[in-house]
Amino acid sequence: MEPFDKDELSDRELDAILAAWESPPAPARLRAAVFPEASKPWWRALWSASIRVPVPVACFLVLALAFAAWRWFPPAAPRAVTKTVYRDRIVRAPADTAGSNSHQLQPVAELRVRIIRSRNAKN
Amino acid sequence: MTPQTAFDQYHQAVYSFAYRLTGRADVAEDIAQECFLALVRAPLRYDPSRGSMKVYLFSIVRNLALKRYRDGRAEQAMDGPEDLPAIDPRASLEASSAVAAAVAGLPQLQQEALILFQYEGATLEEIAQIVGTDVGTVKSRLHRARERLRRVLAAYGKVGSAHGTV
Repeated sequence: MEPFDKDELSDRELDAILAAWESPPAPARLRAAVFPEASKPWWRALWSASIRVPVPVACFLVLALAFAAWRWFPPAAPRAVTKTVYRDRIVRAPADTAGSNSHQLQPVAELRVRIIRSRNAKN
Repeated sequence: MTPQTAFDQYHQAVYSFAYRLTGRADVAEDIAQECFLALVRAPLRYDPSRGSMKVYLFSIVRNLALKRYRDGRAEQAMDGPEDLPAIDPRASLEASSAVAAAVAGLPQLQQEALILFQYEGATLEEIAQIVGTDVGTVKSRLHRARERLRRVLAAYGKVGSAHGTV
């Protein structure tokens, strides 16, 4: 024995029963999930923005930047040591420190003796 | 039509279709989100000459729901059993639950045709485009679906009307 009768419904009865099944409204968070950038302020979108660059382009850019840096900022040359020599300055070693300056004394390569007679000298 | 316009116009219909196909709000939300993300990512894939935006979106929803259906019920045949058990109205006196259970018990192809026609207001031609078949097949599926529901919900209708008269 069937638990309940199985008489078929008419079209109108069936439509009326089917209409009882309602769908819940779509959740409001659906929009934010589909359009996340539109729901964020522009500066936050800019902060988290990203671009996709193909590897060959990225390699070229890196090489170009390296070349530009090398071209415009060449590596520093060895620093030249400049010594100012005062030609007309006569350094007189103090008498008591003559020994300490002895390493500056060099042997004379050529000695030219020039005798200057005094005007008052007599043969 | 921009993705934003399409979302404004169809997001409720897309969500409802997904909800009725799957019977779960969370899954429907995921499917609706995937559907519109597909449109956002590749808007040029929509070809107006092949159908309306509604047809395009519903096709995406159907494919996503079918994928989940296959993943979850791979062992069950698409056409389902011929004889569905009648719903006992004493166990489910709420009409909404009874109808949901009855529609969920339909074979997948009949179920989607009935939902599109009965709830989403799609025409036979639109249903044929969405499910990728001809109008005659859609008519046949609709007829069989309604016949099944007529039998399954018969007792409920009787009890429901009895409750209404008491």
